[in-house]
Amino acid sequence: MDLRGGICMESIIYVTLVFLLVFCVMAVVSNSIIKSAIYLALSSAMLGVIMYVLGAHWAAVFEVSVCSGLVTVIFISAISLSKMKRDEMDKLYENKKRLSFLPAALIIGGVLLTVAAFAKDFRLPAAAAAVSEDFREILWTTRQVDILGQITAILAGGIALVVLFQNDEQKK
Amino acid sequence: MLITGFLMILAGCYCLIRTYHMLKIIIGIEVAMKAVTMFLILAGYMNGHMGLAQAYVITVIVLEVVITVIAAGVTIGLYKKYGNMDIRNLTQLKG
Repeated sequence: MDLRGGICMESIIYVTLVFLLVFCVMAVVSNSIIKSAIYLALSSAMLGVIMYVLGAHWAAVFEVSVCSGLVTVIFISAISLSKMKRDEMDKLYENKKRLSFLPAALIIGGVLLTVAAFAKDFRLPAAAAAVSEDFREILWTTRQVDILGQITAILAGGIALVVLFQNDEQKK
Repeated sequence: MLITGFLMILAGCYCLIRTYHMLKIIIGIEVAMKAVTMFLILAGYMNGHMGLAQAYVITVIVLEVVITVIAAGVTIGLYKKYGNMDIRNLTQLKG
């Protein structure tokens, strides 16, 4: 049963990793910005699945709800506020001469790295025995400074947005 | 996972170098940050300190959202001022 569970977990991770990479590449190379935002949301969902399978349940929930949900909403709001035409962006802005060989290099590099890893029988070190630690306790005690940093960053972001849009209204 | 993460960082950097569109640049940054998030979780899984890794990941996610929101605000400001989202227009800004 354990062996089956382990093989099943590994299969889920490998399949999800392939989907994650495909969605990330599609987000980067897609011509439509809306499609890019949707591919980014899908890649966040795939990352959430990987986190959940590896045992990071809280982080998976945050990843799916915040990165896959909130960030996509922000992107689509920005696109709809700008009222730009679909499919115009890459035709107008992309510099096609710069590093046009990179997608091919990416694919070849990926294949070479995978082949080398299999040839050398490269494996990650086995996972250490999980230390029983409560995530909430660590977040609120050991990493308390992080919470302060997060609050400061959120406040700074809010103030930056208020200033940005306030200047617009004052000009009108 | 290491290979996938490495390729994701490359894809993000490729997006940053290739395009002049502001929103697309934010998407490139997001893709590269996803790889970093994945590396953090992998490190936590290998060390057995998954709680600590999750605390770091949540900090990264919060910062990611703040960066996205501010960049989207700048993008909308750019569009209102110049009618497009070309980052080359940012050089014309005066402090």
